[in-house]
Amino acid sequence: MIPVQHYLYLSALLFTIGGVGFLVRRNVLVALMSIEVMLNAVNISLVAFNRMRPENHGGQMFAFFLIAAEAAEVAVGLAIVLSLFRIKRTVRSDEADLLKN
Amino acid sequence: MGLLESLFPAENFSLIAFILGMPLLGALVNGVWGRRLGKPAVRLMALSAVGASFLAAVVAFVALQHRVEVEGHEHVKLYWTAWQWMHANGGRSVTNVPIDVRFSIDALSGVMMLVVTGVGFLIHLYSTAYMAEDKAFWRFFAYLNLFIFSMLVLILGDNLPVLFIGWEGVGLCSYLLIGFWYDVGANTAAGKKAFIANRVGDFGLLCAMFLLVHYAGALDWTGIQSGANVLADNPAEAYRIHVWPIGGGTYQGIFAFLQPAHPVTISAATAVGLALLLGCTGKSAQIPLYVWLPDAMAGPTPVSALIHAATMVTAGVYLICRLSFVFVLSPFVMATVAVIGVSTALFAATIALVQNDIKKVLAYSTVSQLGFMFLGVGVGAFTSGFFHVFTHAFFKACLFLGAGSVIHAMHARIHDDVQAQDIRNMGGLKKYMPITYWTFLAATCAIAGLPLLSGFFSKDAILFEAFVNHSVNPFAQKLADRHSGAWAPPAMLGPSLYVAGVVAATMTAFYMFRLFFLTFHGDFRGWVIGRAPLAASRAGHGDLEDTADGEEAHDEGKGTHEHEHGADEHGGDHGHHEENLKDPGRAPHESPWQMTVPLIVLAAFSVFAGVLNPAPLTKKLALEHWLAPVFESAIKGTVIAREGAEHLELPLMLGGIGAFVVGSGIAYWMYIAQKGAPAARLAEQAPGLHRLLLDKWRIDELYEATVLSAVDALAETAAAFDQSFVDGILAKLTALVVAAFGTILRTLQNGVVHFYAAVMVVGLAAMGWFFVTPHPDATVTPEGNGDYTLVAGPGIGYGYRWDGDGDGKPDKDVFDGTQQIKLHLEPGKSIVIRLEVMNAFGLTNVRAIPVSRPSAPTMLEVGQN
Repeated sequence: MIPVQHYLYLSALLFTIGGVGFLVRRNVLVALMSIEVMLNAVNISLVAFNRMRPENHGGQMFAFFLIAAEAAEVAVGLAIVLSLFRIKRTVRSDEADLLKN
Repeated sequence: MGLLESLFPAENFSLIAFILGMPLLGALVNGVWGRRLGKPAVRLMALSAVGASFLAAVVAFVALQHRVEVEGHEHVKLYWTAWQWMHANGGRSVTNVPIDVRFSIDALSGVMMLVVTGVGFLIHLYSTAYMAEDKAFWRFFAYLNLFIFSMLVLILGDNLPVLFIGWEGVGLCSYLLIGFWYDVGANTAAGKKAFIANRVGDFGLLCAMFLLVHYAGALDWTGIQSGANVLADNPAEAYRIHVWPIGGGTYQGIFAFLQPAHPVTISAATAVGLALLLGCTGKSAQIPLYVWLPDAMAGPTPVSALIHAATMVTAGVYLICRLSFVFVLSPFVMATVAVIGVSTALFAATIALVQNDIKKVLAYSTVSQLGFMFLGVGVGAFTSGFFHVFTHAFFKACLFLGAGSVIHAMHARIHDDVQAQDIRNMGGLKKYMPITYWTFLAATCAIAGLPLLSGFFSKDAILFEAFVNHSVNPFAQKLADRHSGAWAPPAMLGPSLYVAGVVAATMTAFYMFRLFFLTFHGDFRGWVIGRAPLAASRAGHGDLEDTADGEEAHDEGKGTHEHEHGADEHGGDHGHHEENLKDPGRAPHESPWQMTVPLIVLAAFSVFAGVLNPAPLTKKLALEHWLAPVFESAIKGTVIAREGAEHLELPLMLGGIGAFVVGSGIAYWMYIAQKGAPAARLAEQAPGLHRLLLDKWRIDELYEATVLSAVDALAETAAAFDQSFVDGILAKLTALVVAAFGTILRTLQNGVVHFYAAVMVVGLAAMGWFFVTPHPDATVTPEGNGDYTLVAGPGIGYGYRWDGDGDGKPDKDVFDGTQQIKLHLEPGKSIVIRLEVMNAFGLTNVRAIPVSRPSAPTMLEVGQN
C-alpha cells in the first residue's frame, strides 16, 4: 500500500502548481483552471486522510462537499468571465480594471 | 336655565370646548382648504366660526351669572378638563404637581372672553371688506381665527402652562400677521422684532413658572392662591433668593472685594413677581420691552386693531389681575409695576405728540394706555385696571378701525402706503366720510377722557386709586418680629403717580385731538401732496417703489382695482402714478357697510361702556361688584386706601377733567384756531427736541448700540471661533488624517486581481508561519505573601514543560498539559522560570520568565492582604 505521505506530497505539488498558475497567468480561464487544480489537490489529501482514518468517512464527505462547491464556483466564475467578455471583449484579468480609481 | 345646568355642570362645562373649538376649526378649514374654497366660503367660515364662538360665550356668561346668583358672594368657576397632560416633579412642599389641560370661566375670564370674541367678530366683519382685494385673503382669516383661538386659550386656561400655550400662540399669530405682507422687508423685520422682544418676556414667565412650582408647589390658579403665602411668609432661609452674592455663596481671594457686608436677598414673592412682570412687559409693550409694538403697525390695520390694541397686548394686564394674589405679597413688585406703568404712559405719550403716521400715533397711544392699565393694577386697583382694559378694547379698536377706514379712503388717491397713512396728507375728511368721522370723534372723546364717556371713568378710577392707595406687606408684622425688614413704598409715591398720570392724560387728550383735527378738519391736503415726493423717490430707487406698488394692491378696496388695471396697459414698470397733476382726481370715499357697522357698534360701546363702573358718581358699581370675588381676598390687608379717601374722590376727579380740557383745548387752539401755526413755531424753536421726539427718543438706536451690538459681538466671536478653530483646525485636521491614510491605502487598491491574490498568498504564508511556530507565553499573577501563579498562554496542540525551580533544567522529561504552576518566593528573592512549548508539528520553543519579590512589603501587598 502506498503510504499516505506520498499522497500528501502529490497534493502539495499540485496545490503549488495551481497557486503559481493562478498567480502568474493573466487569462481568467486559466486562472479558474488553476483554482480547480488547487481544490483537487485538497481533495486528494482529504481522500488520503479518509484512507488513513476510514471510520466515519469524514475525508470522503468533505471531498464530496468540496466537489459540489467547486461546481458552484465554476458556474459563477464562468458567468463572470462571460459578462467580462461581453463588456471588455477580453478574458485577461489585468484588463478587468473597471473598479480602479 | 335648568336645561343649561344639566347639560353643562360646573365641573364639566364642556361648552368651553365649543367656544375654543370653533375658531380652531375656522383656522384649520381656512388654512388647509382656503385657497381652493374661494373668498365667499372663506368669509363665511371665518365669520361663522367667531360668531358661533361669541354666541356660545354669551351663553356661558349667562350660565356663569346664574351660578353667581345662586352661590352668592363666592368665586364661582366653571371648569372643563380636556385631558390630563403631565406631572411636574419637584417643589419644596409637593413632589408631584399635576398639569392638566384644563380651562375655567370665572368673572374675570368671562368678561375678557366676551370682549375677545365680540370685538373679534366685529373686526372679522370689518376685515372682509378691508382685505377684500387681497390675494391671500384665506391666509389672513386662517391666522385671524387662529389668533382668536390662542387668545381664548390664554384667557380660559386654568393654569400657567396652558396660559403659556395661548401666550405663545398669540405671539405666533402676531408675528405671522405683522409680517403678513412678507414681500416687503420692513414688515418681516417688524414681525421678527415683535417675536424676539416677546421671547425676552417669555423667559421671565418661564422663570416665574419654575419658581412657583418650586416654592408654591402648584401651577393652577386655585393651587397658587392657596400656596402663595409661603412665598412671602416663611422664615426659612431657603425661601429667600440671594441676589448678591449670586446664589448665596461667598466671594473669596481676589474677588473678596465683591463680598457685601450683608448679602442682598429678596423674598420668593418678589422674585416671582418680578419674573412675571418681565413676561407682562414683553407682551403688553411696557418699558423696557415696548419697542416692538409701534413697529407692529406694519401689519394690516384690522390686525393692529384686534391684536395690537384690543386684545393681545392686554394679556399682560390680564395675567397680573389673574395672579393678583401673588403680586400683592410684595409691595416692591407692586410699586415697580406702577412706576413702569406710569413711566410708559408718560414716555409713549411724548412720542405720540409729534408723530405724523396715523397708525404710529395710535400705536404709541396704545403703549401709553397700557401704561395706565399697569399703573392701575400696580396700585392695587385691579378692578379699575381691568375696567380700562375693557373700555380701551372698544375705543382703541374703534380708533384703529377708523384709521383703517381713512387709510382705505386715502388709498383711492395716494397709491403709497407711507403717504396714505400720513396725517399731513389728510384733512377735511369729515365731508367725505361722515360715519368714520362721527365714530372716530366718539372714540377720541372716550380715550381723551371726556366726562361721562367710558375712558373718563376707567382712567379717573385709576388716577384716584393711584393717589390714595398704598401697598403694604401682609406679613410686615411677622417679618419685623423676625428682625427682617419689609420694604414699604415711600409716602410720596401715590401723589407722584397721580401727577404723572394726569400729565400723561393731558398729553393723551392733546395728541388724540391733534390727530383728529388734522385728519378730519380743515381742507383736504391730499389733492397734490403725495405725488411730487413719490415721483422723486421713483427716480431714486425704482425697486423699492415697485415692491410697494405690488404690496398696496393687497389692502385696497375697489378704488385701486381700476387703477391697477389701467396701469397694466402701460406696462408694469410705469405703475399708476402718471396722473395729471392738475386733475383733482378721485375723492376719498366712505367705506362699505362691513366696515362702518363695526365702527358704529364700537363707538356706541366707547360712549356707553362707562355705565358699568361710573366710579365717583354712584355706589352702584356693576363691574366692581362682579369682579369682587376675584380680587377681594388678594387686596384685603395688602392694599390700603389712605384716610379720608372718599372725600378726595371729587377733588381728584378734577385732575382728569382738567387733563381733558387742557389737552383738547390746546389741540383746538393749535390746529383749528391757529391752523397749526403754533405747532410749527414750537418745532422751529426747539428743533433738537422735536427731532428727538420724532425719532422716538432714539430708543431703537440705543438698543441697537447696546444690547443688540453686544449680542452681535458675542455671535461674531462664536462664529470666528467656529470658523478658525472648529472648522479651521479640528475639522481640517481630521480630514487631513483621513486623506493621508486614503492616499497611502489607495496605492494598494490598484485593481489588478493578481496583485490581490499575491497579497493574499503572502498573508496566508504569514499566518501559516505564525501557526507553525510555537509561542511560549505566560502571565505572572502575584497572590500575596510571596505566592505567585504562572499561567501559560493556550495554543492548538501545545504541550508544556516547565522549569519551576530555576535550575536551568526542565522539571519533567515529557511535554504535557500542565498549563499552570504555583511558586513561593521569600522577600528580596528572585527566580527565572523557563517555559518550553512544543506544538503539533514537533517544533519547540523556550522562554525565560523572571519573577522577583520586593524586599519590603509594599503598599500594594498590604492592600491585598
